[in-house]
Amino acid sequence: MSQPSPEVYEEGKGMDAHNKVMREVRSRNDASYDPREPTRVWLDEDNTPDWFVTSLTIILNTGGCRWARAGGCTMCGYVAESVDGGSVAHEDLMAQIDACLDHEAENADDPAQQIKIYTSGSFLDEREVPAETRQAIAETFGDRDRIVVESLPDFVDREKIREFTEQGLQTDVAIGLETATDRVRRDCVNKYFDFADFEAACAEASAVDGGAIKAYLLMKPPFLSEGEAVEDMKRSVRRCLDVEGCHTVSMNPCNVQNYTMVEDLYHDGGYRPPWLWSVAEVLEDTADVDGIVVSDPVGHGSDRGPHNCGDCDDRVQRAIKDFDERQDPSVFDQVSCECERTWEAVVERERSYSLPLAR
Amino acid sequence: MTDYFEVHERDGAARLAELRLDSPVTTPALVTDADRADDADGAGQGPDAAPEAGVAHPVLSDPGSGWATEPDAPEGDDSRLTILPARGFPAGTPDEVQDAFEPEYPDVDFPSAAVVSATTATDHGTDAYVLSGAHGLAGHARAFVDAMIGVREAIPPDTALYLPGVATPANVATLVYAGVDLVDADRAVVRGTQGRYLTVDGHQFLEDLDELPCACPACQQPREEFDREDCARHNVNALAAALKTVRRRIRDGRLRDYIEGQARHEQWLTATFRRLDQQYAYLEERTPILRQAEITAATEDTIRRVEIQRFAERVTSRYRNRFDNPLVLVPCSARKPYTDSQSHGQYHDAVQWRAHKVSMTSPIGVVPQELELTYPAQHYDSVVTGRWSANEIEFVANVLERYLERTDYPRVIAHVPEDYRPICERVEESLGTEFTYTVEDHPTTTDSLGNLASELSGELKYGKRERQHNTVRAIADYQFGDGAGDALFDDLTIRGSQPGLQAHDGDGNQLAVVVRPYGTLAFTLAGARRWVESDAPTKRVEIDDFVPHGSVLAPGIVDADESIRVGDEVVFEGPSAFAVGRAEMTGPEMARSSRGIAAHIRHVDERD
Ligand code: SF4
Ligand SMILES: [Zn+2]
Ligand SMILES: [Zn+2]
Repeated sequence: MSQPSPEVYEEGKGMDAHNKVMREVRSRNDASYDPREPTRVWLDEDNTPDWFVTSLTIILNTGGCRWARAGGCTMCGYVAESVDGGSVAHEDLMAQIDACLDHEAENADDPAQQIKIYTSGSFLDEREVPAETRQAIAETFGDRDRIVVESLPDFVDREKIREFTEQGLQTDVAIGLETATDRVRRDCVNKYFDFADFEAACAEASAVDGGAIKAYLLMKPPFLSEGEAVEDMKRSVRRCLDVEGCHTVSMNPCNVQNYTMVEDLYHDGGYRPPWLWSVAEVLEDTADVDGIVVSDPVGHGSDRGPHNCGDCDDRVQRAIKDFDERQDPSVFDQVSCECERTWEAVVERERSYSLPLAR
Repeated sequence: MTDYFEVHERDGAARLAELRLDSPVTTPALVTDADRADDADGAGQGPDAAPEAGVAHPVLSDPGSGWATEPDAPEGDDSRLTILPARGFPAGTPDEVQDAFEPEYPDVDFPSAAVVSATTATDHGTDAYVLSGAHGLAGHARAFVDAMIGVREAIPPDTALYLPGVATPANVATLVYAGVDLVDADRAVVRGTQGRYLTVDGHQFLEDLDELPCACPACQQPREEFDREDCARHNVNALAAALKTVRRRIRDGRLRDYIEGQARHEQWLTATFRRLDQQYAYLEERTPILRQAEITAATEDTIRRVEIQRFAERVTSRYRNRFDNPLVLVPCSARKPYTDSQSHGQYHDAVQWRAHKVSMTSPIGVVPQELELTYPAQHYDSVVTGRWSANEIEFVANVLERYLERTDYPRVIAHVPEDYRPICERVEESLGTEFTYTVEDHPTTTDSLGNLASELSGELKYGKRERQHNTVRAIADYQFGDGAGDALFDDLTIRGSQPGLQAHDGDGNQLAVVVRPYGTLAFTLAGARRWVESDAPTKRVEIDDFVPHGSVLAPGIVDADESIRVGDEVVFEGPSAFAVGRAEMTGPEMARSSRGIAAHIRHVDERD
């Protein structure tokens, strides 16, 4: 993972501090969950290299992220939704899959073309999802067109991917890269792998016919100003899609989740989720790249989610959704609002020592 | 070492200072990025110019934060203030994270600023400090006051404090009052783009204004054509104008009087200056012991001012009454000194030096006759309506009670009008004594004055000598500490006459003189020597090996008593000189500053 460098000591100090804080923050949460129920399941639509598809999205409860148990990422509250005590048995995981299929049968006319499985961790980590379960799931969904499974880059392995492609599934591994900038990933997000590890995972996935990587980016982790966040995303989108094997980037604005350091900062007036204009700006600026760039702003228009002035949030969100579908930057010419000037002033003026300049 | 910042005037925690760049900037100042100077034609008026172009000093250089990119070694020059790259900490950043990511600042030889937070602030050897996380402080009086005090005490006194991203026309006076030296226009501009029209008395929605209540250039156009960009320009102009008012007020020593009125427009600002009043030590250290400016006592908050509290504290814990005669309590007069007023002339005619006169007043408390000329007893102006608020009654009664506990009078005669009665009665009750009341209807009626005269008919007069001796000693008590009057002036002869009394010792050597505008004592060398040898608390400054003339600069000072305040008499001792003068900075500033005038020397004696 990280290369030894003169900054290693500093790096350790920063990580220790972030982890200590995040452990304390997460410990305020005493919720626990039924291991036989998925954390969440829903139906939606996605842009993929095969055009627009219907998706069944599953957040599988696998006992949560190991990294989060150590403290983990500063903006991530997902672990708060995992079971007590660690790992979930094969039977329980399969019970969760059954519950998802029931959900789909009740709510959709046809089976979804694409299955997306997130785990708040690594689906490909066998301590989290045993090989037996992974294979069973591959078979269960073998009748679909595509599958997306979430994993840290370490666990991306061509043999595991082949288990899915052999079922005839186009297989994307979703990697929560967050940013292509190692410094930001490490010090702002507190996530510990390097862009080089992501590149290695891309190489591994693309070694399999039908395997690929989908990069998840996080716009505006804590401590970055709006302008820095926009620049970081523009750079990151381009760097990701330059890597062979990465065909899609999902760039998602940070929101304020419960039991996170971001939430503490937010409460004290030290964090504001990104402007929707910032999302639009990055999508528009990088529209010329070779690959798909989408964004799914969660909680848009609310104080804890990405937002503009309140008047234009829905319009800009719709333009972003349009862009997701058509990849055409002219969708953003259709929306304007007086608050663009405010956003421009914020992007130009905000510094890490003066943020946020506007709510 | 601070090379590029020097404080010239102090008014409480507010300072008038100079950022010594190629073109010097007088602070408190509105600053902005160096690249937001003027637009191409240089006038700062073009359509693409930043709203603060031509208004704010374009002196900041910010190579960027350390969160996003590995900072390069900073570069700078004498034309700008370079903010050294660092990871800024937004409000709410946990302490552990701040510790782990605390920047290390290189030593640089150009004007520089270090980014600090309320928790991590410490001396980095830079000329200025940028306080991060201000957004979480503005609007929250307690957090703001705590942060300001913490940071100001942690960084050297002769460095500038820059509070980024929060200044508005309404809050800037209070920010400066609390100790901020540099602000930017970011918030004013952002609010302008949101259609908020900012003024010193708050803000309005632009769409609600049918008339622009301002005469700045941006507002000189038809209302319909005035857009949000113009609003941003107006906001910046209003902020710049507010800062000009603040600078003028500091020069005049009258910022507090302004704050008491202006801060009322926003709750948190009022709460801020009140909370600062509760942080008495912070303000007391920074408030001069004398000044020319008058105190306007127009609000109840005046009672909490340092000058007022300090006078009351000194009168009730340092001052000694040396007269044996009865006490006559009289109301103050609008005219200062009281003795010059018609009413006090009439009281005097009735009393005829047969009693000790003490004036009762809001907001000062009680003023013994010897201290009538001493700052601030003749330097305030209050609004007299004959109606006392509960706070005023409580304050004056409290001071009078403490005063009486420390003094010993055979009798107390209260020659006061009806509205003073509740105060007197409170004190009578709590001390279990009885005052004699002599006023019928009004203190200056013939009957009242006759009552007063006849109450004193059996008393002996005290002479001029006693009066003058007691005055000099009382001022010494007040100025130098409990017992100082006796310790310094045991054998005393007085020359000159009120108000310029000169104190000589028995051999005719002059020791001190009462300085006219302030009613305080200034020592001669002989007086200073006696002060050093006496038991009275001395304010000493240790200087390097040189003979000071005119003024002493901070770098020449080795150490200084913590208790020294601006305006204090100070003795200077060094290998080559013994001198006496008046402090221009506080003791802690003298000890920690590397620039600026520390004191003015009055007399110096070379040692060999
Ligand atoms: S973002 Fe992913 S790696 Fe980080 S704590 Fe959350 S689940 Fe774990
Ligand atoms: Zn808007
Ligand atoms: Zn104006």
